[in-house]
Amino acid sequence: MVPGLDTEPAELMRLITMRTAECEGLEQVGADTVIEVDNKSLTHRPDLWGHHGMAREVAAITHGKLRDPVRADLLPAGKGSIGIEIEDFALCPRYSALVFENVTVKPSPLWLQDRLGAIGLNAINNIVDVTNYVMAELAQPMHAFDSEKLHGPTIFVRNARAGEQIAALNEESYNLSPSNVVIADAQGPIALAGVIGGLHSAIGPDTKRIVLESANFQATKVRKTSVVLKLRTDASMRFEKSQDPLNTVRGLARAVELLNEVSPGIRLVGGVADSHGELKTPVPIELTVEWLKAKLGRDLDAREVRSILESLEFHVRETAAGYFLVTVPSWRATKDVSIKDDLLEEVGRMVGYESITPQAPLIESVVPPENASRKYLRRARDMATAQGFTEVYNYSFVTEEMAQAFHINPEEHVGVTNPIASGQTLLRASLLPAILKNIHDNSRHLSAFRLFEIGREIHARGRELPREIPHFAAAMYAREGDGRESLFELKRLAECLMEGAEVRLATARPFEHPERAAIIAWRGEDIGRLFELHPSLGIKGRAAILDLDLTTMEKLDVRESRYQPLRRFPVSAFDLTIVVGLREPSVNIQRRLVSAAGSDLVEIEFLREYTGAPLPSDRKSVTFRLTVGATDRTLSSEEVAAIRERVMAAVPV
Amino acid sequence: MVEDQIQQLQSAALARIEGAGDLDALEQVRVDVLGRKGALAQFSLGKLPAEERKVAGKALNAAKQALENAFEIRQQAFAADALNTRLKHEWLDLTLPAPGPRPGSLHPVTIIQNEIEDLFTSLGFAVLDGPEVETEYHNFDALNIPAEHPARDMQDTFWLSNGHLLRTHTSPVQVRGMEKLGPPLRMIAPGRVFRNEEVDASHEHTFYQLEGMMVDRNVSVGHLIYFMKTLLSAIFHRDAVVRLRPGYFPFVEPGFELDIRCLICGGPGCSVCKQSGWVELMPCGLVHPNVLRMSGIDPDQWGGFAFGLGLTRLAMMRYGIDDIRLFASGDLRFLRQF
Repeated sequence: MVPGLDTEPAELMRLITMRTAECEGLEQVGADTVIEVDNKSLTHRPDLWGHHGMAREVAAITHGKLRDPVRADLLPAGKGSIGIEIEDFALCPRYSALVFENVTVKPSPLWLQDRLGAIGLNAINNIVDVTNYVMAELAQPMHAFDSEKLHGPTIFVRNARAGEQIAALNEESYNLSPSNVVIADAQGPIALAGVIGGLHSAIGPDTKRIVLESANFQATKVRKTSVVLKLRTDASMRFEKSQDPLNTVRGLARAVELLNEVSPGIRLVGGVADSHGELKTPVPIELTVEWLKAKLGRDLDAREVRSILESLEFHVRETAAGYFLVTVPSWRATKDVSIKDDLLEEVGRMVGYESITPQAPLIESVVPPENASRKYLRRARDMATAQGFTEVYNYSFVTEEMAQAFHINPEEHVGVTNPIASGQTLLRASLLPAILKNIHDNSRHLSAFRLFEIGREIHARGRELPREIPHFAAAMYAREGDGRESLFELKRLAECLMEGAEVRLATARPFEHPERAAIIAWRGEDIGRLFELHPSLGIKGRAAILDLDLTTMEKLDVRESRYQPLRRFPVSAFDLTIVVGLREPSVNIQRRLVSAAGSDLVEIEFLREYTGAPLPSDRKSVTFRLTVGATDRTLSSEEVAAIRERVMAAVPV
Repeated sequence: MVEDQIQQLQSAALARIEGAGDLDALEQVRVDVLGRKGALAQFSLGKLPAEERKVAGKALNAAKQALENAFEIRQQAFAADALNTRLKHEWLDLTLPAPGPRPGSLHPVTIIQNEIEDLFTSLGFAVLDGPEVETEYHNFDALNIPAEHPARDMQDTFWLSNGHLLRTHTSPVQVRGMEKLGPPLRMIAPGRVFRNEEVDASHEHTFYQLEGMMVDRNVSVGHLIYFMKTLLSAIFHRDAVVRLRPGYFPFVEPGFELDIRCLICGGPGCSVCKQSGWVELMPCGLVHPNVLRMSGIDPDQWGGFAFGLGLTRLAMMRYGIDDIRLFASGDLRFLRQF
């Protein structure tokens, strides 16, 4: 790849990966080996978007010598033959140009075509190819205009005017707004600054005279324009990394040499037209070897530090032993390197991070603060799996249809403004739509199953961050059976997850079985639902669902228990069977029994429920066992009988 | 002679005890002979002279004793028979499946996450949570990724109708952690993250990361490597070989990619490591001074390291899962395997 380099391509690739940027592969293209570098690893390195920058890295890594392909002496002296007017130097820090005449447009020589081809650029013609070659070599995008198609003697760099349009080289037409920067002649836009040239002034077979642009544009502006117009070009990708304004004339000098070769007889007209604002000189950075050593956790020699920085063309002045003033080269100074931490990286990567020995830090031993919610969630997961439920993870997205099936107010949802797939239009304000899908999907393979998810409901709150409510949702499905077991298993799970949880019958929502829906309450607060899915949701078989709001989970984790002395005196038990209306909630009867029994009640236990003959069809009997006793003595049989009388008086028997 | 009568009674009773066909018959014998109004009780020795009474009394007691013994033995034999018969009828096919649910499974990512949380907690790291819907400030700006920074392209973002976004990484919890705890601190933040990407076998728009950060007086790259090596050795139950190479993330400087020696081939190269011998595992680096400063921490006094661990990726490596879409499939045939 680089003549005179005695490193095998594979080893070179490894070295670049370890010292500079991630290489993704080697490819043999003719006599050349192409090393492919991951673009993303060059995001911060404008200089590495040209081969010369990479060559500088390789020279530093291999202790080789870097040859500069630019001959500044080829630049013509004198005044430029074209005017340049830049409206805002912040948007265009520099615009340089040369004018050539006696141009011959023809295909490039093979060597040039091959090199462009090797890096994936199409050869167009000798003039355009030279601009692309310089861009690939020096990271300086260039553009050639057919000078005879330009109007007026001046090139303007300005914001586009409302309503202006440009037909670009890609044969697309773009409507421009004042947020776009254009290159314009007296009549209108001739190029979209830093992105693409105009079709009208493009180099054609008959072009005789050209204006060669080598300019520098503000990174964010170029990026915005290319994002808004959905037009990413080789030029825009380079400019959006913040290129070096000092590079424009270097690009021109290199182009002069190449154009002379590919278009014999070409002649320069005038000198370099060059307009720029104040070109900033980077402020030197103070750096000490001690600081570098502490940050890397490795010994370093001052001479070594100096030699590394100088091999990367930083200017180093040692003000005292181990104290440096480092000046950043212009091509690294646009954004990449500005503080000593950036220099730390330069030194670290070049000495090699593999040379650093892992070392345990000397720090205080402290017990980390507890995260009560997480502790609870872990317990909840363990409890659910112990009872046979398997954990699922569902997406945070739902569609309008999914949400509608559960009658969730559309206003509750946060919308996604740029979904790329269907099914991503809303953020879920309930876990249930996805749980329903889980039931559907799994019921095709399994005749019975239990599953649960712990996830966040996201509820819109205007422009504020939405409320993210942790939820526990569980489902039990059975293709056969009357659905009873599922509901009671889920109820038991709820009681295990939230000690003291109570179930209250509720009016069913439209997606709930009208006779099988309940509210789960905890310490007087409604925190969830237990229900069977309405058959209209298309489940073959039956599915029951438990949905709990876990907002209170931090409180749930605090379980303060105090030991109760064991009972010293025997207790007595008696059973009571009560006949009530079929739909009388048994919990109501139990509550009455408890309150009637008073303080001597030790335990009340539901034994059974019965319907059928000889009871009328609208009645049922419920049997409870009550255990009574006192802490300080044995209750006499008279006392027990009195309690029993009292309790029986309180309920219909 | 009274003794002879006693003897006769005893013999007859013994024969009846022997002959009793079941417990009821035996009980009848007991009532007839040993009962309160039974034959033995009928013997009245009161009329006998004292001398004879003494002898007869002895004989009577001996007979009673003998009959009680015989009765006892016979009764036990019946009880043993009855028990045997009952037990025989209680044969149970214990090869039948036991009823009731089997334990369910935790999601594979939960399993990995729990393990890593435990490891870090034991090393003194707090476990923090952050919102899934984040502000642009916390997800980007406070991490040294200002608007229009090209690094924003590295993370395709879901933008939301409320002007916020779905967090593209767990790194914003670093910022929230620094704001909340202040220095020195050690924290991790596991959670769900989102990238607006097309989904295929190796790309998901929803996946799981674990962010980690330590801020203290003197934190070096050497410390970072130490923690990462310790962590990875514990996760993979073997001495993990790691390497750092340059990587670019705006919120760290210097930034690294941490590679682990391929666990499949151990170095020579295979399809998993694309023949390189190394697998890219986690981005990390020293916390950028701008990031510290934005969270109110003086970078001249404090320094730190940060890292991000792909939990989904780790689960794929651990269990050999080759299709990332399975994690959110809700398919119990997959999930029950863990």
